[in-house]
Amino acid sequence: MINGGKKAISLMLAMTMLSTVSACGKSGAAKGASSAEDGEITLRILENDTAKEKGYLDELLTAFNEEYKDKGIQAVDANMEEYSNLAENGPYGYGPDVIYQANDKLMAYAEDKHILALNREDFECADKIPDEAWNAFTLSVDGKQYTCGIPINVQEPMLFYRKDMLPEGWESNWDGDGNGIPDFLEDWSSLYKYSEEVVNTSNGEKYGLVAPCNDLYMMAEFFFSYGGYIFGKTEDGAVNSEDIGFAKKDAAKGMMALKQFSGIMSEECLDDSIKQSRYSKVADGTYFCSISTPDTYVLFHDRLKEVYQNEGLSESEADEKASENLGMVELPAKLPSSGDLTSGEKDIDTIVMGGVNGYGISAYTEHREACIEFVNFASSYDMVKKRADILGIAPTRSDAASDLGGVTSMIFDSLNAGHIYLMPSVKAVDQIWDPVGTLLSDVAKDAFREKKNETVKYADESQMQEALEGTSKSIYDAIYTLSN
Amino acid sequence: MKKEKTSEVILTYLILILVSFVFFFPVLWLILASFSSSGSIYDFEGFFPKGYSTATYVKLFTDTQMYDYPSWLRNTLFVSGFSSVISTVLVILTAYTMSRFRFRMRKPLMKTTLILSMFPSFMGMTAVYLIMINFNMINNLWSLILIYSAGAPMGYLVQKGYFDTISNSIYEAARIDGATNPEIFRKVTMPLSKPILVYTALTSFAWPWSDFILPNMLLKNRDLWTVAVGLTHLGETEFSRFAAGAIFIAVPIVILYFSLSRFLVAGVSDGAVKQ
Repeated sequence: MINGGKKAISLMLAMTMLSTVSACGKSGAAKGASSAEDGEITLRILENDTAKEKGYLDELLTAFNEEYKDKGIQAVDANMEEYSNLAENGPYGYGPDVIYQANDKLMAYAEDKHILALNREDFECADKIPDEAWNAFTLSVDGKQYTCGIPINVQEPMLFYRKDMLPEGWESNWDGDGNGIPDFLEDWSSLYKYSEEVVNTSNGEKYGLVAPCNDLYMMAEFFFSYGGYIFGKTEDGAVNSEDIGFAKKDAAKGMMALKQFSGIMSEECLDDSIKQSRYSKVADGTYFCSISTPDTYVLFHDRLKEVYQNEGLSESEADEKASENLGMVELPAKLPSSGDLTSGEKDIDTIVMGGVNGYGISAYTEHREACIEFVNFASSYDMVKKRADILGIAPTRSDAASDLGGVTSMIFDSLNAGHIYLMPSVKAVDQIWDPVGTLLSDVAKDAFREKKNETVKYADESQMQEALEGTSKSIYDAIYTLSN
Repeated sequence: MKKEKTSEVILTYLILILVSFVFFFPVLWLILASFSSSGSIYDFEGFFPKGYSTATYVKLFTDTQMYDYPSWLRNTLFVSGFSSVISTVLVILTAYTMSRFRFRMRKPLMKTTLILSMFPSFMGMTAVYLIMINFNMINNLWSLILIYSAGAPMGYLVQKGYFDTISNSIYEAARIDGATNPEIFRKVTMPLSKPILVYTALTSFAWPWSDFILPNMLLKNRDLWTVAVGLTHLGETEFSRFAAGAIFIAVPIVILYFSLSRFLVAGVSDGAVKQ
């Protein structure tokens, strides 16, 4: 027994020694940020996790390093958490040189001067990117406009659905305009009607649409399509965070529509659990469709592939079938102006919330010019197209978007047509998510209160309007009182 | 009388089984979840996964592109191993000094450490961060070892209490035999102190092994993360991997505990003259 104990201790000590040898090297090697040893410039690039996971970052770095090997510039993975705080790490030299982020995150850094202002003319892609995308990275200070990021791709919520679960004979029953696209993928009233049918025919075991009702990013169409907005604008076009627009125009009608729709969703729509369960619930057929961002396509696809594999298909067959049966389209394009989804109206355009992701250059980099070279390379046609091919993103470069076609060009067109409301690029945006998310969740919950014969909080538009005004006031207080 | 005893035993066992179940069930659930074939918590049938496989454990150690678990494990072992050795030496020396020697400022020092140890360690995090930046020790595993080891002697009171129980006559006998202070410490005190040495080493190992706040603050690079930091950064659909990682992290510490726990008892029964 004692020998056994000694052996165990020896084993543990040996493991510690082994780890010492390996960890020591790494611990030393990880020190410092970008360096210029022997005249070689090393840039630390912070990309998002999906780009890393899917191998795009490796391709980008390899291509760049090959291209610039004679110029003494090398790019490496910053190897940090994708949302690591530049404001915390940058000033001490531990941050990345180039950072890839959504416009609201990047511009929050820009407001605090953690990101460099850039000249659009320095970038080859400048005239290929529409102004809407550039505006997302434009900061207005003392009446002057500064560009603080290079737009790469645009994101908006998408509808993920199962093509193999389309109702039989939909061409005759659910395609009123005969355009070959089911009505419930084109307007919200039809989607409501179809969802109701799915719930009723399955005795409440299956659902049509189930979406994260507490998530402003996914549900913003119920504000923006009805005239609501986040922040207004000043006369010179700058964002005016004093003008909060969640209670403006017919936003209350939009909220009534949301309440109505959530009544035929699963109760999971009320909290964050839907954000993790939607992939498997769409895959196992419990939900016909759900809402998410395009970069999660692979998660829906992999879950569906697993289901097919469990049914006995080989990996390649399952992969092929999953690609065939998983559909990703923009959210239905029309909403009823009355806010009543049973009215059959489809008379107003859906406007969704979107974001633009792009590259920014850290204000703490010692190699500004090299960073510009890198961003120029990463925003070139070839790299943006490769990014779109690997990650399924919608590029902001018009040439890449039109060459790619399909959903990609649809998103690009929606951006140009004003059907995507881009997140304002100011720090005050941080204060909107919690209050509005809480209200959205409560509005959706009201539908379940109604079903359970409990007292409802938002029985009519005036009560809804009051709640929206209260939320807008909370946001104002958070921006101008509590955070000061 | 015998009947009463039997019913008491049955009742005791029932209560023990019930209490064990309450404590064991979450662990069992986590173990089963780590073997879930789908990897998602939402594919469960009621409490338990629909299908089981060892794929998650294989993935945990082979799919290291995004989540390099083996590297996190090595880092954790490195930090915990060194912290344990250095902390044990420092704590034992501090406790022995406070127990055996009488010197000026001894009492005020003891009172000060007692008061300081009452403050939670995370109070000084910002200061620690700034100090480590100035020492250029961010992204360096030695910074963690330094902090854990430097802070360890503050918790010397348990060890001092143990040394206080060793009879003074043993030390007097050693001194009469001509032993110097270091010799007394090495040849007399240490052999009598196996239980407290083991206890100190175990607790000094366990703290860095499971700590999150400090490594999360000081280690920026993914390949330097410890297991606790790495697991919290797993993607939202990686629940099985999280469960497998959480289960596996317990293995070394359980082995260590079981292999060293005998010394806790053996040390107590080691022969010595005691009052």
